[in-house]
Amino acid sequence: MAGPDPSVAAAKRAGEPVLSVRTLAKAYDAGTSREKLAIAEVSFDVARGEFVCVVGPSGAGKTTLLRCLSGLLGPTSGEVRFEGTPLRAVPDRLSVVFQDYSRSLFPWLTVNRNVAVPLRVAGVGKQQREARIQEVLHAVRLGDVGRSYPWQLSGGMQQRVAIARALAQQPDMLLMDEPFASVDAQTRFDLEDLILEVRRELDITVVLVTHDIDEAVYLADRIVVLTGAPSRVQEIVDVPLERPRTQLGTRSSEAFGRLRRHLMELVTTSS
Amino acid sequence: MSADSGRVGARWSSIAARTAVVVAVLAGWEYLSASGSLDASSFPSMTDTMAELARQLVSADLWTALWHTVRGWATGLAIGASLAVLVGTLLGLNRFAYLSVIPVVEFLKTVPVIAILPLAIVVWGATLQMKVFLVAFGVFWPLTIQVIYGVRAVDPVVRDTAVVLRLRGVRRFVGVTLPSAAPFIATGLRVAAAVGLILTIIAELIGGAKGLGLSILTTVNAGPQRLPATYALILVTGVAGVVVTSAFARLERRVLHWHESQRNLAPTGV
Amino acid sequence: MSSGVTGAVALRWVWSNVWRLWFSAAVLVLWWVLSADSTSTFFPPLQRILERLHALWIVGDARSELWSSLGHFAVGYTVAGVVGVGVGALLWKFRRIGDAVSPVLYFVYVIPTAALLPAIVAIMGIGSAMKITIIVLAAVWPTMLNTLDGMRGVDPLKLDTAKVLHMSALRTVRTVVVPAAMPQVMAGLRHSLQVAVIMMVVSELIASQSGIGFFILEAQQRFAITEMWTGIIVLALVGSVLTVVFIAVERVVLAWYIGARAVERKG
Repeated sequence: MAGPDPSVAAAKRAGEPVLSVRTLAKAYDAGTSREKLAIAEVSFDVARGEFVCVVGPSGAGKTTLLRCLSGLLGPTSGEVRFEGTPLRAVPDRLSVVFQDYSRSLFPWLTVNRNVAVPLRVAGVGKQQREARIQEVLHAVRLGDVGRSYPWQLSGGMQQRVAIARALAQQPDMLLMDEPFASVDAQTRFDLEDLILEVRRELDITVVLVTHDIDEAVYLADRIVVLTGAPSRVQEIVDVPLERPRTQLGTRSSEAFGRLRRHLMELVTTSS
Repeated sequence: MSADSGRVGARWSSIAARTAVVVAVLAGWEYLSASGSLDASSFPSMTDTMAELARQLVSADLWTALWHTVRGWATGLAIGASLAVLVGTLLGLNRFAYLSVIPVVEFLKTVPVIAILPLAIVVWGATLQMKVFLVAFGVFWPLTIQVIYGVRAVDPVVRDTAVVLRLRGVRRFVGVTLPSAAPFIATGLRVAAAVGLILTIIAELIGGAKGLGLSILTTVNAGPQRLPATYALILVTGVAGVVVTSAFARLERRVLHWHESQRNLAPTGV
Repeated sequence: MSSGVTGAVALRWVWSNVWRLWFSAAVLVLWWVLSADSTSTFFPPLQRILERLHALWIVGDARSELWSSLGHFAVGYTVAGVVGVGVGALLWKFRRIGDAVSPVLYFVYVIPTAALLPAIVAIMGIGSAMKITIIVLAAVWPTMLNTLDGMRGVDPLKLDTAKVLHMSALRTVRTVVVPAAMPQVMAGLRHSLQVAVIMMVVSELIASQSGIGFFILEAQQRFAITEMWTGIIVLALVGSVLTVVFIAVERVVLAWYIGARAVERKG
């Protein structure tokens, strides 16, 4: 690729946050008497390779924030920068996983064809496409389900398909909206571990919005705690738990308990 | 711009646009007639039609014709719908009867109702009975199917609740089965009402029974100078259609609304 | 051995589905027996009806009436389907125009098309053009309104997903909006089918020299009641066969939808 010296560019990119949110505010029905402020002022950065969770009490405008971060929704004021450029639309190197897989997957397409959608959009050739589909399905530990329809699979497997489809785009960053809220507890643990492995293997940045404090502590490097609506950043908590993490070991550690307690206090007092 | 003006403005602009389209259609009609693009011997001008409509509205003939149409439609609908609710409920409550009879009902539902019209005409001639029979017959099959599905589609949670509450017999039917089936029946009725009106008009046109359909035919046969009356009557039929459709759509919405609130209450009601 | 077992299973399957037809069979037998000695002019013996049906429609040349009718139906229904889906999609795409024309559209929609018949005959005469026009005018509405409704009802999260996957507007319509609206489009097409069959007959009843509707009406006017009955039965069968064919097509087109619904109901 023609362009500036790659090593300089890489160095520059390493120093610069992947995602940068500056005094973001979002009001619905702005300029009318029904104006409702969902996000008052939110600022934080996400460094390359980092895993950041956003938590807050229910009704804290988490989904609104996610839509602003993905470029689906324009902010009322403030700015979101992705890899240095202000967001206008959903950027190419960003993928989004929604909570409700039964709504975000296309029920009229097989698993293979669902995963193929972003590849077709990008104009990837047939052979490469098939190889890539196998690759991402393998990455989310899905075996031979390509010819099935999503609705023939369990909830956990469907969400894996949604994650595989998001990964097929080879994103730099994965944005997830309560991705494990619609599955049972055991599947949830499996999917949490899966996303940690995927992130380690593919070396991508993850921003995950959740209402589950335990999940946030277990997954994140840093946690952005929001106040109730209209949201502000209440505190940004570092999670210095060592990796690799395990459900049993990490969750029963003393440090985990302390962090969890601290976050609980933040979230319950703010609502 | 002040606070609410954005939304209110949007609503007004929508009303204005709709009005403009209606006016444009009427004006375009008049223009095409005046310019001679629309042959006056087969298509009257808008103003002639409206003038004729105004004349018709104060004449007894129109109202008599309308009354005949409404009577045939309402009687047929009432008979067909009552029978459909009765038969549909009985079939829906009994699995054996349902499985046995459903092939016949499904078959008859696909039969074009109109096939039966010539038979009705030879049996009853150009009478009210002929009209009523056609409407009742046409409305009965699709509505019966709706009722059967409605009765069978009682929410399992609601059904379990009824068992827990020891509701049986008539009580269970009135308190659980009918309310659950109501939205299905309301939807079926809305469709049936519109179909019934079409069948009434067809019965009058082809069977020669008194009503708006026959009046339209008579004005057409009376020659080009009566053409404005034809179109005036068509407009009246359209208005009848609007009234029937919106009335039954409103009924359906009410039942559906009630159904939704009912469904939300169901789990906490246990 | 094993073939005996599968044979038994197959037999049970056939039996569990076939026994339901007892009532249909009973109705036919009852009709046959009760009408056997019928002297009523209106209800001739079923046996005689079937004999005439064979003579007229199977070995006779009444079939040509059927082809004439079906030709008009095929053209009219196809036009109604294509125009209905096309205009429905345009009304969805150009929301403001759709909103502006909605009162006029609604009014034309609720006018019972039969009421327009005499006027259309006065304008167009009694040829094929008139028949096809009537079929189109009546059958276009269910498809159009269902297409519009179906496209408006596409889950917003699916549209968000399309944006997240960087789909172009055209691809979004092709990959997301059309398939998502398809169940409702098919429902509209099915309703249009029934309307088209009815209007096919009505157009022949009111002014025509050919077609199955004309055959029935003409038999009725000659007081050839048995022949009229054969026409009615043939028409009934035509309506059913068309519906069955449609359902077969629908099962293929909406296989994903039917499958997903079945899973949903079980879960």
